[in-house]
Amino acid sequence: MKENNITDNSAEKNLQVAIAKLPKEISPERDLWSGIDRAINQNTRVLEKNNTRKVIMPTAWAASVVAAVLLTWITLGPELSTTQPSINLVAEIQHNFQQQKQAMLVNFGTPDIKQLPIAMQAELIKLASAQKTISKALVEDPNNSDLLNLLRWTQQQELDLLKQLYSPQWQEI
Amino acid sequence: MDKLKIIDANERFSPDIESQWIAQAQQGDQQAFHRIYENYHRRIYALCWRMLADKDSAEDVCQEVFVQLWQKISNFRGESKFSTWLHSVASNIALGHIRKNKTWLQRIFSIEDQVVEDVAVDMPQCSNLDKNILKLPERARLVFVLFAIEGYRHEEIASMLGMAVGTSKAQYHRARGLLRESLSE
Repeated sequence: MKENNITDNSAEKNLQVAIAKLPKEISPERDLWSGIDRAINQNTRVLEKNNTRKVIMPTAWAASVVAAVLLTWITLGPELSTTQPSINLVAEIQHNFQQQKQAMLVNFGTPDIKQLPIAMQAELIKLASAQKTISKALVEDPNNSDLLNLLRWTQQQELDLLKQLYSPQWQEI
Repeated sequence: MDKLKIIDANERFSPDIESQWIAQAQQGDQQAFHRIYENYHRRIYALCWRMLADKDSAEDVCQEVFVQLWQKISNFRGESKFSTWLHSVASNIALGHIRKNKTWLQRIFSIEDQVVEDVAVDMPQCSNLDKNILKLPERARLVFVLFAIEGYRHEEIASMLGMAVGTSKAQYHRARGLLRESLSE
């Protein structure tokens, strides 16, 4: 009985010593970093893609709405007057917009639009083309408040998009 | 030379440098994150290997831990030591991996895996005790690793493993008994 106790104590002591000596670190046999690095960068790319999608989607919607409204206006709208209208108000709106846009771009360090992803460039082109079409329509009907509002709205969309693209943002993890 | 080594080791684990790496990694700095990995991956691998008792699974889970760490590092607010926080992240991922790999029968009836035989033969760097830990039945092994090596309390282990505190204590004593026996053989 006493011998058993002594053996137990000695085994317990051996175990204590062995636990204390256990290595805290063990090296894996293969390199784990390369896989981690790949996974991290893949995740970052997915995140960037999602962020780009977040910017593109509202713009694409905006461009579609502009196109739909224009189409409706052209087909169902009032007959255009044949008199030569005054286009001062339209010119002023355009001038203000250009000034605002220019100031904004200067604020962002005059970035090169051509450096943007192609999808973004396409959105900006769509908005510019919508503005051009509305302006053309306004030449014929300069007092049409719907068209004037539509022009201001598309201009605002362009400014918002530029702001989203170029203003500094915190990275989400 | 020895002094230099001590200085190097102190720098390696200096809390200030570590805090700097963590802050940089939280801002998306992958180089800083790589330094954190270099500092901790052997410890995390040791934890995974002892919990999972399988070299390949331990490597996979260790990678998973660092991928998730990259995604969650902004959640670390410095309320506890980084190493404590990281070890708890790693333990939970390893436990999740064990749960996922159980068969539905094992899950429903809490059937334990059989004792693992000859598991550590091809691991030259592991100690005699490590070899015997890996041969313990799963629940006894997990409780032993978390209590005796990782320093968790039985209450914490019980909550992590979904068992009663008394069961955690009983499994610990069972593990110690089995290890005592195998060490004295």
